[in-house]
Amino acid sequence: MGHVENEGSQSGAIDPALWRGMTQRRFTRRQAMGFAGAGLTSALLATYGGTAVQAGASSVIGSAKWWKKQKLHHVVNFANWPYYIDVLAGKHPSLEHFTKTTGIKVNYLEVVQDNASFYQKIRPSLAAGQYTGYDIVVLTNNNPQLGYMVQLDWLIPLDRSLMTNFNKFAGPLVKSPSWDPGNKYTMAWQSGWTAIGYNNKQVKNPGTSIDILFDKKYAGKVGMLSDPFELGSVGLLAIGVEPSKSTESDWAKAAKKLHQQKSDGIVASYYDQSYIQHLKNGDIEVSMCYSGDIFQADLNSKYKDLTLMLPKEGAMLWTDNMCIPKYSQNPLDAMTCMDYFYNPQTESVVEYYNDYICPVPDAKQELLRPTGWNKAALKSLQPEIGLPTSVTANSLDVFPSTKQVKASKSYYNFKSQDEIDAWNNLFLPIIQGA
Amino acid sequence: MSSPPRRAAWRKGLAPYLLSSPAGLWLLLLFIVPLLIMLSITLKTCSPASGQCVMTWNWGELPHVVNLYRTQFVTSLIFAAVATIIDLVISFPIAYWIAFYGGRRKNFFLIMLLVPFFVSFIIRTLVWEFILSNNGVVLTFLKGNHLLPSGFHVLGTGFAVVAGLAYNYLPFTALPLYVALERIDRRVLNAAYDLYANRRVAFMRVILPLTVPGIFAAFLLTFIPAFGDYVNQEILGGTANTMIGTVIQNLFLIDSDYAGGASLSAVLLVISLLGIWLYAKLLGSRTIEEYL
Repeated sequence: MGHVENEGSQSGAIDPALWRGMTQRRFTRRQAMGFAGAGLTSALLATYGGTAVQAGASSVIGSAKWWKKQKLHHVVNFANWPYYIDVLAGKHPSLEHFTKTTGIKVNYLEVVQDNASFYQKIRPSLAAGQYTGYDIVVLTNNNPQLGYMVQLDWLIPLDRSLMTNFNKFAGPLVKSPSWDPGNKYTMAWQSGWTAIGYNNKQVKNPGTSIDILFDKKYAGKVGMLSDPFELGSVGLLAIGVEPSKSTESDWAKAAKKLHQQKSDGIVASYYDQSYIQHLKNGDIEVSMCYSGDIFQADLNSKYKDLTLMLPKEGAMLWTDNMCIPKYSQNPLDAMTCMDYFYNPQTESVVEYYNDYICPVPDAKQELLRPTGWNKAALKSLQPEIGLPTSVTANSLDVFPSTKQVKASKSYYNFKSQDEIDAWNNLFLPIIQGA
Repeated sequence: MSSPPRRAAWRKGLAPYLLSSPAGLWLLLLFIVPLLIMLSITLKTCSPASGQCVMTWNWGELPHVVNLYRTQFVTSLIFAAVATIIDLVISFPIAYWIAFYGGRRKNFFLIMLLVPFFVSFIIRTLVWEFILSNNGVVLTFLKGNHLLPSGFHVLGTGFAVVAGLAYNYLPFTALPLYVALERIDRRVLNAAYDLYANRRVAFMRVILPLTVPGIFAAFLLTFIPAFGDYVNQEILGGTANTMIGTVIQNLFLIDSDYAGGASLSAVLLVISLLGIWLYAKLLGSRTIEEYL
């Protein structure tokens, strides 16, 4: 095979890439634009309560008719954030079970490091009307990128008929959320709080207020997050303003407070995910943090001094969302996979490992009394985790009380690009050190 | 009707252009055109959502970003200058020794100087991060023996960034210096000794003046890439010592602010060109290529 020399021969082997190009359906730019236009019309019709199915829109990507035509390809390319799924000896038990029962192979890729740079990587393909290489991507609701995908019609509306587990088991937190009413495009992967983490050996009287981040007592030992949307929201909470109801003049006041915090020498640095390492090392004593990180660090007995505080001003609640980018080649496999994670048995295995806020409340019972394949999976994971499943099941950070959820705060919902620019112009200079 | 000789002459005149056309085309397509595209982006307005740019003749972007990021420009200038001076001080004796005392093994010594740089730039810098980290070999040992206070750290400081720059760009300084020293005619040196110059005077009044073009070339070749570098800052530095290269990288790859990134790049380019112009003005444009 490998050495076919056929210069000048007409009937010889043709470059496989050329074959693909000739045999596979391609979207031209005009077609793509046509689809976008039609998508918009159907979206508008849907908003006005009409059933959008009409002759012209029948084959629109994501319509019921379009979904009916899709076939399983027994493969799905899943792009997720690192350390976000159960791992056992380099494999993922939950995904293995999925492959065993459905025959769909999952290429699980931990390629999303942050929303902005991941979006930059998939955008050129989407803009050119091409497959991004991923059938499922996970984006956070607190950054603008998920909104951009919806605005630009770059997400495939989900197949309502394939959301059986979701409809049955999804918790109130992730069912028809404010950033995606009716779960038109997304299903949550996990949620979490951006709260405060501290070392209880070094911090004796933490109190219950966000003011600890602005306390001169901890000058040079306070870590802040470098995500402008996280940083700005904490600034708003600190001046007593609810981020979701804030105005531009509130943003300016919050930025002033954060500038002051910086010039007073309170901030050690603005960190990305690396803050947790610095908190463990003792470089910083108190820091903005993501809830699951602290819980995971606690599991390791060496770092049990790290404590999570949900401040009385409220903790920011975010959700990472699974969605199907347009031009996905395996949308039906993606739908099947996404819904599979709403089975409480599956979710119990995922949650035992990753300790963020579980989108499936019934997974708690499955952690305490597993009823199926998850029994063996949880048991085999136990030596790795080192704690009984009941600890995860009873953790308020994984299955929070309604009171906790009510006390959490949502992010500001940007209404235009101008607003995003205004926000960035206020908070980015603080982080970038100007 | 042109006569055959005139036609030949015309052909002869065209020959150099034809011969240089592959290189010219290369330069045009892969250098001039991208440069013009970059400059045109500074005047455009780009959407962070779709990434598409529309020409709006926005002349305000350049002063806006320069003003916003002037601290980072200053940081970069200082870091690059300090790193370059460190490189000159370190590599001059080495280059001098190889050129004058290397003997038959000159090439061997040159290769020894370059061997570490056969490893990829990023990997080398990442290894330094590993060596200098708080729990790394060096600091653990020094702190364990109470030679340093326990809160001491290297990573994240401006010192780490300058050290990284100086390390990574050392060959760009050492090689031009070596070429300059190697080319010095030994008879000139002998003449100096014949005229009762001692070694110090011969060095100051013969060797040093003759290596000035080499020193300047080394300075430019080190300073210009170090000025725009972001890898060292990103890996070894922290938030308090952001360099302009890091800002440009963030603007392009994270914030989708193409106009801002292009504007800052244009300013970087102008500063670099100023350096080269100064070199050409003082030492002539012919000498620089001898060190590249």
